[in-house]
Amino acid sequence: MKILLFVFLMALAPVGVYGQSDYIEVTAPGNRQLKMAVSLPNALDPLSRTETAKQISEIIVYDMNMSGVVVASGRPQQSLSRELLLSDADFLPWLNAGFDLLVSGEFSLKDEKLTIELRLFDVINRKLITAKRFLGSPKDVRRFSHSFADEMLRAITGEKGVFTTKIAYVSTKTGNKEIYVMDWDGNNPLPLTKNGSINMNPDFSPNGREIIFTSYKRGNPDLYRRSLYNTAEVALSKRKGLNYTGSWSPDGSRIALALSKDGDAEIYTMNKDGSNPVRLTNNRALDLYPAWSPDGKKIAFVSDRLGKPQIFVMNSDGSDVRRLTKTGSYNVNPRWSPKGDKIAYSRMSGGGFNIFTVTLDGSSNNQLTTEGNNENPSWSADGRFLCFSSKRSGVSGIYVMRSDGTGQTKISKGRGGAYFQPVWSAQ
Amino acid sequence: MKKIMGMVVLLIGISIVTLIAGGCANTGMGKKNSRTVADVTLENSDQVRVEEQAKLEKARQAKLAEQARQAKLAEEAKLAEQANLDEQAKYDEQAKLSAASKSNFEIVYFDFDRSDLLPDAREAITKNAETILKSFRTSKIQIEGHCDERGSAEYNLALGEDRAKSVQKYLITLGVKAENLSLLSYGKEKPAVNESSEAAWAMNRRAEFAIIE
Repeated sequence: MKILLFVFLMALAPVGVYGQSDYIEVTAPGNRQLKMAVSLPNALDPLSRTETAKQISEIIVYDMNMSGVVVASGRPQQSLSRELLLSDADFLPWLNAGFDLLVSGEFSLKDEKLTIELRLFDVINRKLITAKRFLGSPKDVRRFSHSFADEMLRAITGEKGVFTTKIAYVSTKTGNKEIYVMDWDGNNPLPLTKNGSINMNPDFSPNGREIIFTSYKRGNPDLYRRSLYNTAEVALSKRKGLNYTGSWSPDGSRIALALSKDGDAEIYTMNKDGSNPVRLTNNRALDLYPAWSPDGKKIAFVSDRLGKPQIFVMNSDGSDVRRLTKTGSYNVNPRWSPKGDKIAYSRMSGGGFNIFTVTLDGSSNNQLTTEGNNENPSWSADGRFLCFSSKRSGVSGIYVMRSDGTGQTKISKGRGGAYFQPVWSAQ
Repeated sequence: MKKIMGMVVLLIGISIVTLIAGGCANTGMGKKNSRTVADVTLENSDQVRVEEQAKLEKARQAKLAEQARQAKLAEEAKLAEQANLDEQAKYDEQAKLSAASKSNFEIVYFDFDRSDLLPDAREAITKNAETILKSFRTSKIQIEGHCDERGSAEYNLALGEDRAKSVQKYLITLGVKAENLSLLSYGKEKPAVNESSEAAWAMNRRAEFAIIE
């Protein structure tokens, strides 16, 4: 990951003409979605392959369409303007074609050196909204394109996108249950564990550089921690029985998990090195799958203390336990939204699972999926998306959707083997 | 006006002459004390040499210390790696023993989402207790709890443990020593029959016995 990345806003426009505000609010007249044209970037060097231009354009179109903020479509190369800034006449065809936003740029791929410059224009007001220049190597094409989509979302909505974040998951591709990590769109899958055993329930550290997970590699289901960038795995909790459903606190200092050393599964928190365990639940029922609130003050979890598994919420010291889900007879997999206002979970009814969100007072449940078995929801850092596993196409795959349930898309790409228990990195 | 200018020029002239004279005097002094200065310089250079040597020696020591530290770290990493391998080998050995021993025992079956013991289950556990008391009195026995594929993976792990625990309790009432028994839940991770049917589910809701030591 030691890639030289120089990203800077290009000073193309004199201050004052285009403004230097934090972001420019772009709103479409009426209620229609903004239309974005993504023209193929021009090759600055005639030897640069056109596939690279296509790839850049496709990634940007995919990200922006998935965001739901704009309707984006790819367009052919523009004739290279002598001026980097477009003239009123340059904007006219885009305006006539009904576009609100235009992305154009240049790239070059020469001697293993990749340069990409991209610019986002407001077609209606005929001005530059944002621009970025990236320098790196050929393998950075995807990351740079996602990064520009992140920047465009920031420029349009005021909040940066999550298109450069990662999703960790479990796959049976090799015949065993191993943990992998991939880009948010399912590209660049990278195996992490290779122990030939059962590995499950990965969770990212808040900085996205480490994961915790449960593994049977030493016989007992113990909790391990490892970096994404080397193979050393440290056992954090290897107490008798289950050491599982580990969840990293938002400030990175503590880990909540379920331990069954006391006879049945109970929720504990411990330091991120496994020291100083504190028991939070104490009853003869099963308590598992803790999920931190974004401020770290509360923990949602699953308990069958009333007979069937339901979602409960307590303070992170174990006090003030209350039942959250009051409908449905089997509710599991809680995950707190990054904005703190909702909890996503999966409900089993009629033998199948679906993803729901519930408000914090438990009053309003919103069903997001209807098709197939859908489990283990996990939020993107901006709360715009959820990833989850689904068996809608037979074998379990990993999907993403917007937090209102729209735009459900399969992202896991491998053939053979099941893909499940996805978790989205915060960074 | 001209008079004043003349005065200024004269004053400057006097100043320059004085400065040059002073400079010569200083040079004379320097010559007189040249030996001393040379000695001092020699002493100074000796001093510098000593200091440099000390510095070099210090750097050498630091380098040696660093090398020793690195060697120690490497040694520790090697030991940790070896301990890791040893531990893994121990578990692999245990796993082999465990897998080979399973045919000695009956499998115990459960109802959906239940961990209480049905009459058939009690009969199977009784037979296993007799086997243990007869042939494996001092062996360490592990009871594995398993579930069918319905329900969440995480909840099923807890349920599988409940099943293993039910079996353990009954075994103890039949005279098997508690200290020889341990539990392991696989939830729905290791189905006996990898299919989605009532028949497969019934085969998968089970507890298996294994000798691990």
